[in-house]
Amino acid sequence: MRIQDHPILDFSKGRKVRFWFEDRELEGYEGEPIAAALHAAGVRVLSESPVRHRPRGFFCAIGNCSSCLMTVDGRPNVRVCVEALHEGMRVQKQRGGRGDLA
Amino acid sequence: MKTTADAVIIGGGITGCATAFELARNGMKNVVLLEKEYLASGATGRCGAGVRQQFGTRINCLMSKASVELFENLNDYLGFDGDIEFNQGGYLLLAHSEATMAQFAKNVALENSLGIPARLCTPEEAKEIVPHLNTEGLVGASFCAEDGHLNPFKVTQAYAEAAQRLGVEVRKFTEATGLIMEGGRVAGVRTAAGDLATPLVLNATGSHAPLIAKTAGVDLPIIGERHQILVTEPVAPLQKPMVISFQYGVYCQQTPHGSFIMGVGDPHEPKGFDQGHSWDFLHRVAEKIAWLLPPLAGIRIVRQWSGIYDLTEDNQPVLDEAPAGCGHFIAAGFSGHGFMLGPTVGRIMAAKMLGQTPPIDVSALNLGRFARRELVLEPSVV
Repeated sequence: MRIQDHPILDFSKGRKVRFWFEDRELEGYEGEPIAAALHAAGVRVLSESPVRHRPRGFFCAIGNCSSCLMTVDGRPNVRVCVEALHEGMRVQKQRGGRGDLA
Repeated sequence: MKTTADAVIIGGGITGCATAFELARNGMKNVVLLEKEYLASGATGRCGAGVRQQFGTRINCLMSKASVELFENLNDYLGFDGDIEFNQGGYLLLAHSEATMAQFAKNVALENSLGIPARLCTPEEAKEIVPHLNTEGLVGASFCAEDGHLNPFKVTQAYAEAAQRLGVEVRKFTEATGLIMEGGRVAGVRTAAGDLATPLVLNATGSHAPLIAKTAGVDLPIIGERHQILVTEPVAPLQKPMVISFQYGVYCQQTPHGSFIMGVGDPHEPKGFDQGHSWDFLHRVAEKIAWLLPPLAGIRIVRQWSGIYDLTEDNQPVLDEAPAGCGHFIAAGFSGHGFMLGPTVGRIMAAKMLGQTPPIDVSALNLGRFARRELVLEPSVV
């Protein structure tokens, strides 16, 4: 789901790019937040809690809350709500909410 | 509120809380613990949280071995409903010179003779234990698999709660300002909230111990020195042992939560009670760790802070009553390894205060040793 018409904001979309989420190949627009592309593709669970492995999803959307930390191109703990999407990116969920150091 | 107590413990770190618990466990009914801020707000809660048995003096080997045995069963021993997070991933001590390696060989011989399962390692063996270690310039290492690290807040809380269940009264945010002496004996403790009459006091206030001791007429040669430390973002488990180099004054461990905790010594740190921190430390520790443990070069730092070492001339604590027979007991001057000795020191000080024989003979750690030049120099410290 994407917002198409907004009363104040204009969306200038970049070109369509392909990227990887786990073992799925998805589409998004270059330069949009990774989390936006995942959300548009129906991905709701971005991470999990460290002890009980409960699902964690899109929450603050401004890079503060740590709910969307994912491993991107081998870098752990990337805040995907404020990280721009690029062609061919590899986005992975972190087991127990913690990624491996490259 | 009570105005009299059988014993008053000053200081709500591990030493104070463990001693309060052991006193109550041995039947003392009316014990009050005074803490000027919150529990573990001083050196205990600010430390690197490691526990090792690899030392260069017999007395430290014995005390730390007894502590590890207590830590191994501390959740049960104290009836703690949480977890003290004891991770026995070992301690890897690095030698970057032949002189350090020779000291390690002496230490390991001593440790083995006391039943501590430490061993010397080649650089290759060290790399097997910590695969991401940079072995450039490494001469060898010393490793003990029983060593480890734990959560100092949980440990202190576990002791304090267990002590409270046995009747100890814990008064937080209550500063002891000095002792009340009558005829050369302790008669009470002055606090910000009024006087408390008692014949027995434990001074477990770390770098602040000389200030309390002074009010009993005792000159306690302990100097405060700032040491800085930082914590990183959590990542997946990578490093089980504490890695430490005496040569570079650097140590680094990964907590069960996934964060790395690390620090580096600096001879230019301010003396006294400064608990600030510096930009310079951040540079120095990042440079050292990125070289020593290369995968950590990209990790983000969350926060840095500092605590105060209670340094003595021989890097050993004072575990004594001073002046003798006056009721003022001192357990301070741990010089950076007080947390790991805490459970044992609690037992030792409780025994001393009850007039019993302590489980380990610590008479060498008396206050008079400095004046008599009978130092018990510990060579293996950061």
